[in-house]
Amino acid sequence: MESKSEWEPRIVGLLCKWCSYAGADLAGTSRKKYPANVRILKVPCSGRVDPLLILKVLRLGFDGVLISGCHPGDCHYQTGNYRARRRIALTKKFLEYMGVSEGRIQASWVSASEGDKFAGVVTDVTKGLKEIGPNKLFAEDGQ
Amino acid sequence: MEQELRKEASKLLEEGKVDYIVGFAPGSLKFSTTPLITKEKEEVASLVINPFIVNNLAKFLTEVLGRVGIVAKGCDSRSIVSLIQDNQVVRENVVIIGVPCSGLIDIVKVEKLVGKDRNEIDDIALQGEKVAVIVGGEKTELPTKKVLFDNCLGCEFPTPQEYDILIGEPVDTTCNRELGQEKMKELEGMTPERRWEFWKYQFSRCIMCYACRQVCPACFCERCFIEESEPQWVLPVSKWQDNLIFQVIRNIHVAGRCTDCGECERVCPVNIPLRSLTKKMYGLVNEMFHYEAGTDKNAPPLMTAYEYEETKDLIR
Repeated sequence: MESKSEWEPRIVGLLCKWCSYAGADLAGTSRKKYPANVRILKVPCSGRVDPLLILKVLRLGFDGVLISGCHPGDCHYQTGNYRARRRIALTKKFLEYMGVSEGRIQASWVSASEGDKFAGVVTDVTKGLKEIGPNKLFAEDGQ
Repeated sequence: MEQELRKEASKLLEEGKVDYIVGFAPGSLKFSTTPLITKEKEEVASLVINPFIVNNLAKFLTEVLGRVGIVAKGCDSRSIVSLIQDNQVVRENVVIIGVPCSGLIDIVKVEKLVGKDRNEIDDIALQGEKVAVIVGGEKTELPTKKVLFDNCLGCEFPTPQEYDILIGEPVDTTCNRELGQEKMKELEGMTPERRWEFWKYQFSRCIMCYACRQVCPACFCERCFIEESEPQWVLPVSKWQDNLIFQVIRNIHVAGRCTDCGECERVCPVNIPLRSLTKKMYGLVNEMFHYEAGTDKNAPPLMTAYEYEETKDLIR
């Protein structure tokens, strides 16, 4: 069993390929420092993020999910992020009611030019998850 | 009321306005009813209206082909409106026979309160605030609040919102919105860990019969994600983790369609308190998006609409 000080949260980042993914790229090319806890997956639009993906990530034992897309009004597909917003908001609130800590599901709007913001968001999310602790939600008893 | 309903129904069939009548007929057990789908005029005579017409018949609208005359209580009419919004039902093909409803009696609650089996009970009559139960010639009065289904207690629309023919007089809503929310409020007062433990226990009892999905008028997908094998989202064996995910996703899928009619909880063979979930989802949709399912047939479905300024605080 790892001790809490050594434990590092594992986060899945679902990033829109038109903005946040490029934003993350910019954070890298401009040598911004941010925690290496986030595993990035590219999605065609934040509207692609099915609530099932969020639950699957938690089911697999990852400690948090970060969904990031274009700012409202900037969606490559016009309305994808608006729809994503309703879906994510409902999923987040509903899971909180069921007992999932607030910080496990996070969403942000990061444009392709906001490398700084991306680094900041990842730092914040990682810090928050360190306080919440490991994800034992779907673990079998005694594990 | 029953006579009027039978008359209207046979008139509809006679005039050729509908191909089928969907309504309620007496069930095989005492104090129960069963859905009746018929195109025979003779069978229309067995249509009934009583406080035991529990099923939400809107489910059949997506399954019966042709023009349908459907008997609808307040809650059913909202499910029908929600199906119209989703283009699952063409309004012109449906004749809604509205039946104002003053609450449905849960026979299991009555059995428990009088301590008798339903076969030993002679008669049950709903009389406003009291329910008169006659057992072996003796009359017992029970408070109505104790024997109605939980979802009837907080009912805001006892009279159908959308109808072509209304049988009887409209009923005023006398119900308090807070009623029937006790379980949800109790859960909200717990710590997140306790809540998760609660649901973990509940879903460990789930036997994966999926009756909740089968009975739900809002669950009209031809192929459900739980039956998908590539990718396989949930395992085909009963694990509480997968049962929980199934129910969470089902609730999210029906958000904005679910009218909190309580059918899922009623049919659950292991009595999982599913309405504590649907009620919460209904409340969230209302609070966050000011959207009430099944009240406006011209409104766009919840998940296809958006507003520029909403839920800003949830996203960085």
